[in-house]
Amino acid sequence: MEQRQQQAAGTPSKVKRGPVHEGMRNHYLAFVVSIVLTALAFFAVMTPELDTRFKYSFIVILAIIQAAFQLFFWMHLKDRGHKIPIMFMGSGVLFVVTFIIMAVFWVWW
Amino acid sequence: MSSHAHLENQPLPAEPERATLEGRNKITGFWLFLAGETTLFGTLFATYIALRNQTLSGPTANELFDFELVALATFILLVSSLFSVLAVNAMHKHNVKALQFWLFATVIFGLAFLVLEIYEFNHYTELGHTWSKSAFSSSFYALVGFHGAHVAFGLAWIASVIGQLFKKGLTTVTAPKVYVSALYWHFIDVVWVFIFTVVYLMGKVG
Repeated sequence: MEQRQQQAAGTPSKVKRGPVHEGMRNHYLAFVVSIVLTALAFFAVMTPELDTRFKYSFIVILAIIQAAFQLFFWMHLKDRGHKIPIMFMGSGVLFVVTFIIMAVFWVWW
Repeated sequence: MSSHAHLENQPLPAEPERATLEGRNKITGFWLFLAGETTLFGTLFATYIALRNQTLSGPTANELFDFELVALATFILLVSSLFSVLAVNAMHKHNVKALQFWLFATVIFGLAFLVLEIYEFNHYTELGHTWSKSAFSSSFYALVGFHGAHVAFGLAWIASVIGQLFKKGLTTVTAPKVYVSALYWHFIDVVWVFIFTVVYLMGKVG
């Protein structure tokens, strides 16, 4: 706590931290990427020439990319000191992948 | 309270949400909660994916979904998520007025999303797509309705954070609350990305 108190008072600290004012550029980038990916998924689904299996995998990949952008930029997972949150979310995602595999391949086996 | 009482007379640090051990623990703990939420939504997604073609005599996904409405709802929620990014950005600049403004904008857009969803559900019910119509309808309302309940809870939460900012100002106590509620709101939008893809887009694919 002492160290933190000094840091708050403006004394330089040895604790390495991420940039405080990284600016809004990355955040606007994530917003534009989200809109572009959503529109792309929408037009892929609306194109009758495309193969159904391709559509399924394409839109799921786009959703995963968009979610990654929002998690890492908007929710700061890319910043320093987020190893434990990444581990938490990674274990959550492992569970989800298991559930989805079960639902897609095993339920109607 | 005692763990950060000594900071009260200090100037507000650059990242007030991480200035105290309590604040940092809150953020880490909240990520554990979000991981649990991920798992919870995962079970609902899996259930929906397994049952989405079991429509019995009720309407199918392809017949039901109105794309203009869903696209509008998606855009509104995405913009409200951007507004909470702007709120946290204002907080890092210690601009309480801007922080409250962006949180308020987040709430307004979230409310618009919720109104659209209520209208959508009401419309589906009129088309015979009720909770107990088929396995498809039950799993649809369980998944999308659970997300809508999260939106409603998030609105009440962020509104109360705005109120507390009026009462107590931006301190090392209120800052983690702002940050964590913004994380929650972003998470709701991330879940919606997958609902839009798995429920609405895949419903149109067939």
